[in-house]
Amino acid sequence: MTPTLVMDFASAFGSFVDRRPIILARDPRVHGPMMRAACVSALLSSGCDVLDLDICPTPILQKAVGRRKAGGGVSITAGHNDILWNALTFIGPDGTYLNPFQGQEVLDLYHLGKFDKAATDDLGRLSFAGEDEAVGPYFAALGAFLDIDAVRAARFKVVIDACAGAGSPFLARFAETLGFDLIPINDELNGFFPHDPEPRPRNAAQSVSVVRAIGADAGFLLNSDVSRISLISETGEALSEEFTFPLVADARLARQSGPVITNFSTSRMIEDVARARRCPLIRTKVGQSHVVLSLGQEDGVIAGEGSGGVAVPAFQPAFDGFLTMGIVLETMAHTGKRLSALVGELPRYHIVKEKLYCPPARIHGILDKVRTMFRGQGLDTGDGVRSEDKRGWIQVRASGTEPMIRIVAEDLSKDRARTRVDEILHAVELIQR
Amino acid sequence: MKKATTLKISISGARGIVGDSLTPQLTAVLAQAFGTYVGGGSVLVGRDARASGIMLSEAVSAGLLAMGCRPIAVGILPIPSFLFLTKALGAAGGIAVTASHNPKAWNGLKFISRDGLYLTPHQTDEYLDIYHQGEFHYVPAEKFKSGRVETDAGEAHLRKLLGRFDAETIGRRKFRVALDCNNGAGAVLAPRFLRALGCEVVPLYCEPNGEFAHDPEPLPENIAEVCAAVKSSRADIGFVQDADADRLAIVDEKGVPIGEELTLVLAARYVLSKKRGSIVCNLSSTRALDDLAAARGVHIFRTKIGEINVVEKLLSARPRAIIGGEGNGGVIDPEIHPCRDSFAAMGLILEALAEARGPVSALTRTLPRYVLRKEKIEGSAEWAHRLIGLLKKRYEKEGIINLLDGLKVDFADHWIHIRPSNTEPIIRVLAEAKTEAKALKAIESLKRNIAEAGAQL
Repeated sequence: MTPTLVMDFASAFGSFVDRRPIILARDPRVHGPMMRAACVSALLSSGCDVLDLDICPTPILQKAVGRRKAGGGVSITAGHNDILWNALTFIGPDGTYLNPFQGQEVLDLYHLGKFDKAATDDLGRLSFAGEDEAVGPYFAALGAFLDIDAVRAARFKVVIDACAGAGSPFLARFAETLGFDLIPINDELNGFFPHDPEPRPRNAAQSVSVVRAIGADAGFLLNSDVSRISLISETGEALSEEFTFPLVADARLARQSGPVITNFSTSRMIEDVARARRCPLIRTKVGQSHVVLSLGQEDGVIAGEGSGGVAVPAFQPAFDGFLTMGIVLETMAHTGKRLSALVGELPRYHIVKEKLYCPPARIHGILDKVRTMFRGQGLDTGDGVRSEDKRGWIQVRASGTEPMIRIVAEDLSKDRARTRVDEILHAVELIQR
Repeated sequence: MKKATTLKISISGARGIVGDSLTPQLTAVLAQAFGTYVGGGSVLVGRDARASGIMLSEAVSAGLLAMGCRPIAVGILPIPSFLFLTKALGAAGGIAVTASHNPKAWNGLKFISRDGLYLTPHQTDEYLDIYHQGEFHYVPAEKFKSGRVETDAGEAHLRKLLGRFDAETIGRRKFRVALDCNNGAGAVLAPRFLRALGCEVVPLYCEPNGEFAHDPEPLPENIAEVCAAVKSSRADIGFVQDADADRLAIVDEKGVPIGEELTLVLAARYVLSKKRGSIVCNLSSTRALDDLAAARGVHIFRTKIGEINVVEKLLSARPRAIIGGEGNGGVIDPEIHPCRDSFAAMGLILEALAEARGPVSALTRTLPRYVLRKEKIEGSAEWAHRLIGLLKKRYEKEGIINLLDGLKVDFADHWIHIRPSNTEPIIRVLAEAKTEAKALKAIESLKRNIAEAGAQL
């Protein structure tokens, strides 16, 4: 990621947005200041005014884009990649991730390389956001959307591990809005992550020990831009990130029926939840842009992915970790049930995930071979190759962000899930050789 | 003639037109080359008041950060304050986003060494080699630095100036000063400086917003407003800074511009009245400086055009130089910092005025006077080079030829000079003589000869 590469992408987006204002945020990664400066320069040059939110979670940026009727947003983050991989996330004028068609248009502009260049008098202007531009209205809206009186009355003790990400400076504000006792961990901004910023059990050791030690009611693990979370129950069990979406969906669907959107790799738990609430389930390709696009097209009431991202369009059509935490706490307050009890009501499946390095040029051929292996076994090619039967499913697909093949299997039997993944790993290795 | 390009990368830094040749991408690469050249460390990033300064400063910061440098953002700052601060902070260097007196659509970068000086021609060559090779020193994630902001960045320079000049003597005269910053970078410091010297300031265009209120070249025809303001406010003197506040034009108490050539002459005469030492100036500066040097019996050294050439000579001259500058109103006072500094010029001239007890017009009346005609013609440097080859033959037998920078010919009662600009795709043509008529005659004759020679090309 060189400055000129960042500038070319930002210039393409600036040309796409066509001189309307753009809101900018970044996560605290060490590359952030360089990428921010490169984006600001390129966007001003393309004639777009820039409102700089500095270090700010993506869902707050998204809410601000929609509310302020900006032309778009740029979030400098890389949701789930490690620290060396920093990227730009483009937000459209409605506050959602660019859909795949808009994304292709930006990519076309990038490849064309002919960017809008404003003359001196037409350059965009840079301004810095204060309380009223983004953060204040966001937490006001969040407080209005949730039943904060119920949460406050429950006097929860909550551990949040911000993983030194963009959420860090906003934890206290979040706790104050909802009225719970906050025990923050890893909330110092130093540009480096204390652990892999992926919200999942293997990264939860610190939060688990704190939840146990202080007897907290819940623990949350955030990713670097607060789009996705995983849960830790009051018993100190680090729950798979797959539980986040079905738990929150069940609570939302109790209030509002409608289509539920998820991707082809997400746990079957959501099928059981949607069926019990008599709501249709629609599966799309993996990625926030795909599920949120479908959310709009299908008039869905909730969308989410097994990676811990949940979007509730009644609040905003974006994966929003603050809202997700809020709904979990609200549900605990409304039902009077502990988090372990709420999770215990969900069906338990076993998921095995693996990834395997693969040169991008070879991925297509390998998926083709895998497809022949699955022929006649409930084959679906909506995203990669997926095979489903009564006990479970397995999916093999190309990663959207890395030169990797991802393999996910879910099954009533843990052993069968493992066996099926191992079969594919073995087969892919043979093909690669 | 070949089409002139709108991008100039030269000894004076890089300049181009925003929205055309000077893009964020190009600017970032220029900064990357500089970050590689200085090898990391703190680098000051500042700008003049132009509207495009923020956009380009961000591009500069991005390029520097990618090289593991720590950008220190100093915001809008007069260029002499910027140079002074680079040295004072012990930074590895600086990049100033400025196009000095170029029209508003232009902007550019100036590269500054750890000494707080523009890169020398030799250093510029090294820098440009890195730029052209395109092999930049990208650093891994753990070596990334974050930048910082230096607030009130002009303070260090201001303190130095106030230590140098006699605020008590100047303050006693309670001068009223009409000050025209032309909404340039000087506005952030000049009113404060003059008030600290006990002057009453009549401000004109002291908003540093880059919206030039008049043509930024401080020629008499462009500064009529401050002349009127001097008269209407009955000021003792009028000062006009150029866009980045390195040059100064002066208006006398009658509202008459003394001519920018005389700024350095006035300052030099005052400095030489206190102590002996050499004068350093460029080839195009007025002959009045030779007269002054002769009268005081000191050396005068003349250099190629370009501030850094004057500065390099100023630092190496023996006998030691005590004043330097250029005929365009750029005064270098080595007691402050070896760079053109309109603040140092104001200080020296106010001190001279305070000691003289007469008005400005009385001070200038006793200076040797010449009339300089400056014109520019369109043309590339390459064309100018071939033209000069022909003109040299034409003048060889008539005067003393100097080929240090373009072609300068000294005659008994006048001189002429032709050279390609370092900053714009134009050729500068100058002639100086004792009277307006003679200067006009000299430049017309030069232009005729250029046209004749040009026809042969």
